[in-house]
Amino acid sequence: MADSGELRKRTFVVTRFDPDKDQVPKTQSYEVPCRPEWKVLDALNYIKDEIDPTLSHRWSCRMAVCGSCGMNVNGTPKLTCKTSLAEYGDTVEVAPLANFPIIRDLVIEMDGFMEKFKAVKPWVIVAKEKAAEEGTYRQSPEQLAAFKQFSMCINCMLCYAACPVVAQEPDFLGPAAIALGHRYNMDSRDEGASERNEIFRGEGTVFSCSYANECSEVCPKHVDPAAAINQSKLLAVIDWATSFVVKREK
Amino acid sequence: MARPSDPQAMTPRKPGSTRTAPPQVPDDFWTQPRMRTYLLFDATGIVYLLVGLVALRVAWALAGGAPVWDALLRSFASPGYVIFHVLALISAIFVGVRFFRLFPKAQPAQIGPVKPPPPAVLHAVLYAAWGGITLVLLAVFGGIWP
Amino acid sequence: MVEVYRHDVVIVGGGGAGLRAAIAAVEADPKISVAMVSKVYPMRSHTVSAEGGAAAYVPGSEDSLEKHLYDTVKGSDFLADQDCAEYFVEQATAELTRLEHWGCPWSRNDDGTVATRPFGGMTVPRTWYAADKVGFHMLHSLFQHSMRFDRIVRYDENFVTKILVDDGVCRGVVAIDIRSGAMRMFLGRAVILATGGAGKCFPFTTNGTIKTGDGMALAYRAGVGLKDMEFLQYHPTGLPGTGILITEASRGEGGYVLNSEGERFLVTRDYGVGQKAELGPRDMISRAEILEMEAGRGLKGPYGEYVLLDLRHLGEAKIMAKLPFVRELARTYIGVDPVYEPIPIRPVVHYMMGGVDTDIRGATPIPGLYAAGETACVSMNGANRLGSNSLTECLVFGARAGVEAVAFAKGSADGNEARLRSEAETEGGRIDALRGRKKGGEKMSVIRHEMQLSMERGCGVYRKQESMNQAVAELAPLKGRYADLVLEDTSKVFNTEVLQALELGNMLDVAETIAIAAAARRESRGAHACRDYPNRNDAEFLHHSMMFFTPAGPRLDKKAVTITRFQPEERKY
Repeated sequence: MADSGELRKRTFVVTRFDPDKDQVPKTQSYEVPCRPEWKVLDALNYIKDEIDPTLSHRWSCRMAVCGSCGMNVNGTPKLTCKTSLAEYGDTVEVAPLANFPIIRDLVIEMDGFMEKFKAVKPWVIVAKEKAAEEGTYRQSPEQLAAFKQFSMCINCMLCYAACPVVAQEPDFLGPAAIALGHRYNMDSRDEGASERNEIFRGEGTVFSCSYANECSEVCPKHVDPAAAINQSKLLAVIDWATSFVVKREK
Repeated sequence: MARPSDPQAMTPRKPGSTRTAPPQVPDDFWTQPRMRTYLLFDATGIVYLLVGLVALRVAWALAGGAPVWDALLRSFASPGYVIFHVLALISAIFVGVRFFRLFPKAQPAQIGPVKPPPPAVLHAVLYAAWGGITLVLLAVFGGIWP
Repeated sequence: MVEVYRHDVVIVGGGGAGLRAAIAAVEADPKISVAMVSKVYPMRSHTVSAEGGAAAYVPGSEDSLEKHLYDTVKGSDFLADQDCAEYFVEQATAELTRLEHWGCPWSRNDDGTVATRPFGGMTVPRTWYAADKVGFHMLHSLFQHSMRFDRIVRYDENFVTKILVDDGVCRGVVAIDIRSGAMRMFLGRAVILATGGAGKCFPFTTNGTIKTGDGMALAYRAGVGLKDMEFLQYHPTGLPGTGILITEASRGEGGYVLNSEGERFLVTRDYGVGQKAELGPRDMISRAEILEMEAGRGLKGPYGEYVLLDLRHLGEAKIMAKLPFVRELARTYIGVDPVYEPIPIRPVVHYMMGGVDTDIRGATPIPGLYAAGETACVSMNGANRLGSNSLTECLVFGARAGVEAVAFAKGSADGNEARLRSEAETEGGRIDALRGRKKGGEKMSVIRHEMQLSMERGCGVYRKQESMNQAVAELAPLKGRYADLVLEDTSKVFNTEVLQALELGNMLDVAETIAIAAAARRESRGAHACRDYPNRNDAEFLHHSMMFFTPAGPRLDKKAVTITRFQPEERKY
């Protein structure tokens, strides 16, 4: 079991930014006595509780399921509640998530993501809603497995921080949003694939993705958004081709 | 964090209630090893653009008759062109191998009732097709077949 | 300057109950507009961390509504209001079915029907599950489904600091826009509180940092009673140190709980769980673990004593199929791979049975003010909640509160806006004075820590009259010291220090009600185990405790329990 042994002093170089006081973000260094089993988040909370209460950061569950605590640690997007300090040396740089506008310190503007998230219509679309009395849909374990992996996204946005296309093309829907749209496209209960495929071919097009695979490299939940995006490309093309043959209801 | 991303990266349509600092990426975002490989992968696009221009030159030469054609073939023997064509071949192999590696991941679990074959089968088919087409083209341009 | 937002219904909290209420509200009336005001983006709500499952009768199975009702009432140690519990079991199946229609990826049997698993205190397996991340899937399904309704307007990262009551009727809330620090007034003809519990009053809890009892404190200060606050559920299998939850499903799938001698003490010794062993109710298992540790059969670690949860005999295949998240959590947070080693576990604070006093409609005694989910105490869980009942509870009573709030809003009128605005501005002044208040001698982390220690000592799994009295005695001066807090962050933009201060104030109020109610209940019932009074005393204590805020201090009262079908009997398994 993880032991609480010797404390180790580490220097945390943390991005600070207060729009009322600072023109641009700057960094501030803190010396933190770290317990061996600590995660990066524990050090940040120590800084806030004991050294500098003016540091703002987001966190909640501390068990890697709420997605609040994504930040760039030594240049790599990480969930700070899950990232062990044992992976790092004497100096740890903590910066807000890359590719997002910064509101304050380590807190980034999330509404751009929320817009892309909603844009893919992430809900079950059916022609005729089923009443509760009619019971559940039948869905085999195999049908569940077809989309299950893509439903595991905790919306931590690390994939957006890692993606070179997100860094350059503001309209790109991005890994998590596309993975979520794909999750619904692959759900046997959903009938909205055509609608979503049209969105996938539209302004934020999935075809902006050029196989960097960085999203899947950083995903803490093994969602593999790169797989979702590239699967979506094929399905979007098939959907486009069949739209000439099969009449579609709007 | 040093380099700026696109100033509009991940910016919502509706502006928020406070001023934000523009989006940035870490110093090593574009230079870290995986990203370098990816940028090289994308950069091969330039090679294909040039290959396309060379193809246009070939088509033009075909229309120009035997002397123009012979001059073209002689120019292809020059060191510059040899290096270019070797580069094009390496690019094609690099991109092909990377693409083939990602290919199984890019298959949806199901399209209607159809499921994709396992990755090993997909790889076998892709490499067989690549190899087969290469052999056929070599035979055709080598004058061996048909 | 206060920004004003007008809607028909205002929902505080965007978790399972809040989202379900919002959906129910807009479905109840096509013209209604709902404000969803949450201090975090909804997918961060703590519903997300629930793991095990959600209970409901499965049509065509060997289960029945009566069995579910009986299990729930018995599990509550007969303190549940049986009419509310009956409504709950009746609605449960439809709610989980609706959630399935909305995309929730319930785990399935081979024939495509929804699978169920055994759970603590349930006589028949009726817990629907989604691998071991049911709360995550539930929350995300609800949130994503709610996005189709443009009439649900979200105000994310807005922290509610006060409930507005005018002429005895609830008219809205006052909140801080966390991002800009601006004060906002959300006017609505009905308000639903769905802000969760208050596990962060304790040092070791499965709860995330946002569980600070905000809604409970808001209602309390507005004059609503807090019911049954002494009943805190200690989940038997939390990780030592972090308190991270290891789901009951790990026992549902066949895991064993062992002491330092490798003994399955729930089987070999008599802890009242009978044949159910590891699947006994949570309060009994937590007590058994504490007694084992006290008897010297616990193991010692840097964060105190612990016992073991052994999953090795399940095998890697079953663990990866049914409990993959458990494996990940154990490896990441305690360095143990449950396929090869038993997991260290101990009881940790998990859920509050008590909360804002509501009736079967989710209504508080203040007209226009409703509550649902863990924030509320209906009461359907009485003195102890059965695992997998609370997620369904969020849906059932979230939906009910949503519908009732809409019905009330249609018949209600607006309050005196000038009066309400002036109240909001006063509130804004209070927050401004608190923000970056450099003068003061007390440090926030110190007060928080001392509060948590008091609560741990006084209101643990086992309580002694003396320690509960001491907790009460320790909390009052802490509130005084809280008034002398020093705050450093003067910025208005995303100031989390002032939020933490407000949350601490909420926690102190809630903690006080817990301690006083606990000290007053001189019996042992459900999760409240008092060493000085080890037996249940129906003659004197078969009632709900009620805590009311008065300027002079908390006032204790009581409320009758509604008993319909099942007369209290000895609770033996």
